[in-house]
Amino acid sequence: MIRKEINKISEVGKALISVEGNPGVALNHVVELLHADSNQSLSFAKAINISEDSTRFQVFNGTQGLSTRTKIRIHERPLTAGFSKNMLGRSFDGIGEVNDGGPEIIYEKQLSTRLDTLNPTVRLVPKQALWTGIPMIDVFNTLVKSQKIPIFAGPTEPYNKLLSQIAQGAKADVIIFAGIGLKFDEYQYFKDELSKSGNMDKTIMFSHLAGESQIKGLMLPDVALSVSREFADQGKDVLVLLTDMTNWSNILRNVANYQDMIPSLQGYPGSLYSELAKRYEVAADIEGAGSITIIGATTLESLEDPVPDNTGYITEGQFFLENGKLKLARSLSRLKQQVNGDTRNDHRAIMTAMASLLAEAEKAYEAAEVGAANDPFSQKLLGYRKDFIEKVEEPFGKPVQLEEALDLCWDILRKHFDAAETGLSTKLIDQYWNK
Amino acid sequence: MMKNKRTGTLISIQDSLVKARFYGDVIMGETAEITVDGKKLQAEVLQITADPKNEDAGIAEMQVFEDLTGARIGDTVEFKNDALSVLLGPGLLTSIWDGLQNSLYPLSEQDSYLKPGLKAPALDEEKLWEFTPTAKIGDTLKGGSAIGWVMEGRFEHKILVPFTIGKCILESIIDKQSLTIKEVVAVVKDEQGIRHELKLVFRQAVKSPIPFKDRSIPNKTISTGVRVIDLLAPVSYGGTVGNPGPFGAGKTVMQHSLCKYALADIIIMAACGERAGEAVEVFKDFAELSDPSTGESLMNRMCIFGNTSSMPVAAREASVFIALTVGEYYRYQGYNVILLADSTSRWAQALRERSGRQGDIPGPEAFPMDIPDQIKGMYQRAGADSATGGSLTFIGTVSPAGGNFQEPVTQATMDATGGFWGLSQDRADAKKYPAIDPLVYTTSVYDSFISWEDREKILQILNEANGIDQTISTIGLKKVPVEKYELYQKGQTIDFCVLQQDAFHELDACTRPERLQIINQAIQKLIDQPMQYSTDGMDDEEVKEMIKSKFDNLRQWWREWNTYAQDEEQIETLAIKIDQFILQEEYAS
Repeated sequence: MIRKEINKISEVGKALISVEGNPGVALNHVVELLHADSNQSLSFAKAINISEDSTRFQVFNGTQGLSTRTKIRIHERPLTAGFSKNMLGRSFDGIGEVNDGGPEIIYEKQLSTRLDTLNPTVRLVPKQALWTGIPMIDVFNTLVKSQKIPIFAGPTEPYNKLLSQIAQGAKADVIIFAGIGLKFDEYQYFKDELSKSGNMDKTIMFSHLAGESQIKGLMLPDVALSVSREFADQGKDVLVLLTDMTNWSNILRNVANYQDMIPSLQGYPGSLYSELAKRYEVAADIEGAGSITIIGATTLESLEDPVPDNTGYITEGQFFLENGKLKLARSLSRLKQQVNGDTRNDHRAIMTAMASLLAEAEKAYEAAEVGAANDPFSQKLLGYRKDFIEKVEEPFGKPVQLEEALDLCWDILRKHFDAAETGLSTKLIDQYWNK
Repeated sequence: MMKNKRTGTLISIQDSLVKARFYGDVIMGETAEITVDGKKLQAEVLQITADPKNEDAGIAEMQVFEDLTGARIGDTVEFKNDALSVLLGPGLLTSIWDGLQNSLYPLSEQDSYLKPGLKAPALDEEKLWEFTPTAKIGDTLKGGSAIGWVMEGRFEHKILVPFTIGKCILESIIDKQSLTIKEVVAVVKDEQGIRHELKLVFRQAVKSPIPFKDRSIPNKTISTGVRVIDLLAPVSYGGTVGNPGPFGAGKTVMQHSLCKYALADIIIMAACGERAGEAVEVFKDFAELSDPSTGESLMNRMCIFGNTSSMPVAAREASVFIALTVGEYYRYQGYNVILLADSTSRWAQALRERSGRQGDIPGPEAFPMDIPDQIKGMYQRAGADSATGGSLTFIGTVSPAGGNFQEPVTQATMDATGGFWGLSQDRADAKKYPAIDPLVYTTSVYDSFISWEDREKILQILNEANGIDQTISTIGLKKVPVEKYELYQKGQTIDFCVLQQDAFHELDACTRPERLQIINQAIQKLIDQPMQYSTDGMDDEEVKEMIKSKFDNLRQWWREWNTYAQDEEQIETLAIKIDQFILQEEYAS
């Protein structure tokens, strides 16, 4: 096939270049940028806006070193991701190129990275719990196969440690690690953890380090999720670790800014919700095939920031990490009702009772700060709160089985309250209170 | 009469927004088809301008409802002459579509993924319907006149003359027989002498509302089964409600409860830009549940537009209008329809994305300047019709950014709707569900399951209890007088046992008016009568402790009563219990 080459770049900006007129390239198709004299390949780029007057591209490797003389070679295809089972155990960059220094992969097929929406009718209603050994998740916010759920955490919280711990508990056939804007030590941490737990041979790492080309970071989820989807279509249960989607959203914001798009909140483009949803919605349990579960990390200063806020409306709940504890108040698994009715008969009731008491306890705690928690019940609540934080909200202890965790909950209630104060039914009290 | 094809060519492509150069005429709002790599993609004309480069040509700006990957400058656009429309007729119920009324099950037979260019008929074209004519040859008819009917499940579905046809004479009509939606059942001739062939189905432009026969004020309360709504913030058949809440506050569970328990003939669900899994749960799991009025499968009274969050944004706007038009159609047929739109914020965001791309000067938070008017216009299509006896109730969820009710879409919705169910983050954090804040809501109904006076009393005690609660948090329980503490405990009891409800418990999830009235009597008694207890030898703190423990026991009992009392005898135990409680007689638990 003769590839058309053109040589009329009119504008080189941050991450973007433009050419005059339309060189015959289609929307979202890729072009290759070549050095004007040596013909050395410099980068690939994607056509994002085209008109008869000008065409704009996102440059995967960044625009440093490009000039108006740089040549453009047109490839008549959109960005694809290579797929092969030999990718397991290997590491790739944001556009799917090998970056672990190992041999090149011979791909079985090239996948579209368009992330077409799964027809809702082929989705199964998720019904299978993924047990993590973490009481705050297993008892209060049970994780379910095919769920999409992020960890919300401040930038200094141990969210990567939690992500890695959940990954080790959840029994997946394939783990896809998708890291955007990582610091090198974070990248190394995941690599070490996955190796230590013996999961490396079922893992593919896609990583983009902070400081690398923004466009590669922007593309990374699409490439990683396309590969995930192919495994799921082949019947595998896939777990995707997506960290950190705030970094990704910030790249999206930067690129929107370079494109002169009208910002909505805090400079993010109005499409932030749709862009996040397009990626998270890849999570699914597919009829007659496998499943994709997505656990993400979203760093935040405040829950009201546009990224966590939009994410919360998209994902099926969130795990909220604060001061190293998994907090009950803002954590939520929207799918827990699908699975926690078939466990032990006290599961749902104890979850509700402990949550209401904790909410009361938080009020007592605030009152105590101004010296107002001076009645006996408030004192009970304060003791309860302390135990709850130390024993139930601690995610990094040794793994606890569900029954054991439920028993722990009864122990805590018994220690602090009279049975009637718990709001639990007499039937359950009879069964468990004096156990 | 075959018109010449009107075509244009693409000159600009940006995300879902394209421009095409055309010669001749293009109509504002008409649909178009863009051929990309041999696939036909649907679009809608948004704006028409002169072509600065070519005085014989014009430029049509369009939004495209499907992914444009692979589109090129010079690709052909064919203008279709019709505004965006919906197919109306028998078979709508039980259907599941995408945002543009492509039927999702037939689509899944073509591919598991919704690839651009895939199409499926809106309604089953093979199914036979037994048509019974009612109009006679020579009858004078007009748009909206019935010419006969078919049975759609348990619903008598009238076959109407399309609303676009004016006064006309019926020239022919078939006898009673079974046929598909593709076949002609009658022919009418209009005043211009043009003949129109009528089928069981017709297309209706979605931005042209189906008229009311006689619009009336909504005045009959819907039993939603949700106690806090039916007691304090009821909604009428034909009313409008905005239901805002931060994520995690329980909007989805609320929508699902309404789907399952609200008493209505038909429920239309417009899943607009929300999670696919939630719509799937409705059509897969709810199909096994039974309709509260008939006992049939719940899906028999439903249809679903599943334009979920990862589907093309441009189709979101369309999906809400399509759903509204289907609702109006069944209202016109005389049925009580509830439209649940989840979420109107995603709809507004779709408008925001589009206007941003069009380069419009943005209003607050970059929403289009006229967003309040567009929201009002949308809710105005709900209403009751006294001539048909039908109604369309519109319940829209709102997803305010940052949970902030001051943002433009929430504010415009409050202005546009008659009712407002504000979900509270604090209540959700305390797992007090449904998290409708009893102190932050509005309602504008003219009828209710309990008297207005009773309702005011409940609100008053909740308000007072809330105030005392704040006092306790700031200065401590010791400073609160005993009688205030008792009031506080009463308020807490009403909240805990009545307003809070377990949406996942078979019996607790839905409370009908008869039972609600019994609960209300208990509440009123509790509010009106002071507790009779002796405080001999106790100081105030000991009295408060005693009061708390008595109320703890009552609450535990009442919560259990919510989950078991089914027959009349069991239901009556509530009144007995409250009497005993007030008199502090020994009672069996």
